[in-house]
Amino acid sequence: MSENARPAKVEINQLYFSYTGTQPYVLQDINLLIEPGEYISVVGDNGSGKSTLMRLLLGFLKPQKGRITVRAQRLAYVPQKNDFSNAAFPITVYEMMNAYRKLLKLKSRSCIQAALTQVGMQEQTRALMGTLSGGQHQKILIARALLGQPDLLILDEPSTGVDLDSQHEIYSFLKKLNREQGLTLISVEHNLDAALANSTQIYHISAGQGHLCSPDQYAAELLHRQRSLS
Amino acid sequence: MNMFQFAFMQNALFVSICISVLCPCIGIFLVLRRYSMIGDTLSHASLAGVTLGLLSGQSPLLGAFIFTAISGALIEWLRSYFKKFTDLILSIVLALSVGTAITIISSGKLNANADSFMFGSILTVSHSDMILVLILSLLSVLTLILLYNQLLYIAYDEEAARVAGVRVRLINYIFSILVAAAISVSIRVVGVLVLSSMIALPVATALQLGKGFRPTLLFSILFSFIDIMLGLVLSYYLNVAPGGFSALVSVAVLLLVIAGKRLGMALRSRRSAAA
Repeated sequence: MSENARPAKVEINQLYFSYTGTQPYVLQDINLLIEPGEYISVVGDNGSGKSTLMRLLLGFLKPQKGRITVRAQRLAYVPQKNDFSNAAFPITVYEMMNAYRKLLKLKSRSCIQAALTQVGMQEQTRALMGTLSGGQHQKILIARALLGQPDLLILDEPSTGVDLDSQHEIYSFLKKLNREQGLTLISVEHNLDAALANSTQIYHISAGQGHLCSPDQYAAELLHRQRSLS
Repeated sequence: MNMFQFAFMQNALFVSICISVLCPCIGIFLVLRRYSMIGDTLSHASLAGVTLGLLSGQSPLLGAFIFTAISGALIEWLRSYFKKFTDLILSIVLALSVGTAITIISSGKLNANADSFMFGSILTVSHSDMILVLILSLLSVLTLILLYNQLLYIAYDEEAARVAGVRVRLINYIFSILVAAAISVSIRVVGVLVLSSMIALPVATALQLGKGFRPTLLFSILFSFIDIMLGLVLSYYLNVAPGGFSALVSVAVLLLVIAGKRLGMALRSRRSAAA
């Protein structure tokens, strides 16, 4: 995060959204305040609306009702690895990073090497993106997101398609970014272990409605649910 | 006798050089976005523009450019309307454009022959065509240089481009105009029917080399130059349409590169097995 930047803050008030524009809503009456320096994991079953909430935060979708306020100097996004059907795209790691640097209007090329070094991928600049493993690919996407020193990072299921060792490295790195550099993180998660171990808060969405709780509270809820099921 | 001593061959050579640069530069973005068929649809749409240009007594190339640009913008606009049936969009634009072209041609009200635009002809490139081709080519290459990173990112990762502040919709509309320009530049020599092969095949050939984006773009231009020049020269001696023959050459070059790649892989695996 840049030293002079005000920390990022996200506020969602009485948000309603449906893809058709009419009821039933995918998300309804969502109220959420994300304070600076939080690491929020958004969890929920498939189809609960967690990815829709992320797309609303990114501005890809517009709510039918309610308001989203994202106060961030620079928002960065790490897409889900599986969303890339572009494995055959002829682009090297350096080309991908350098083009993004130019889109962000960053003058110095040194930020590319610095971001790749942070995720331990500095040796891979000449590799084609399509030849990387799932874990390497995800690390490169995180490095790309770090260009321009963001103050808010949104991730979509960062462990999908990633081996266990790389998952461990990625979550350790994300936790370090959050705890040591104060980067605000919002991660849509299907990996509940990672959510419980790393987040400062958990936002659980069920049937379009959400509630915020601590990881301990959520662990207790999960335990209660498991017991009632058995 | 040197064939390039004829003025019509010099004109065709000039236009061919413009085509060999412009078509792969546009084609690489179309192919990588899986939009090759948009190139095909828009090249057919250009025939409607040609017939409208001839009917109104204006430049057919200008007619092709305007109609194709409108068709490209229509495709982009319809993309948000038919989100779940995007292939329908091409059928709609094809119906509109080919319907317009056939209606005008069959009405018998054209004072000129539209056939040369279907098959391509080196005899029909006029001085005013060359000026229009030069202007469109220069403007297109300049726009491509300016929007290089935006176009690259929209093709590679549209969502990341949006997050970085790229105005994706606007760039897509500008790109539609660039596609229209490439088609209008090519239509005289290459012809409507095989134009999409000039857009897609050199890129398909360059992709076989497994390089990064910039080398792939440069190899696309090289292969496009080889395809079009060989097509132009050989079609002159064989007395056939240059567009059709360039398309055949481009398929042959693609097959040669694939064969070379396979051979190289087989040799490498044999060497590593022996070691």
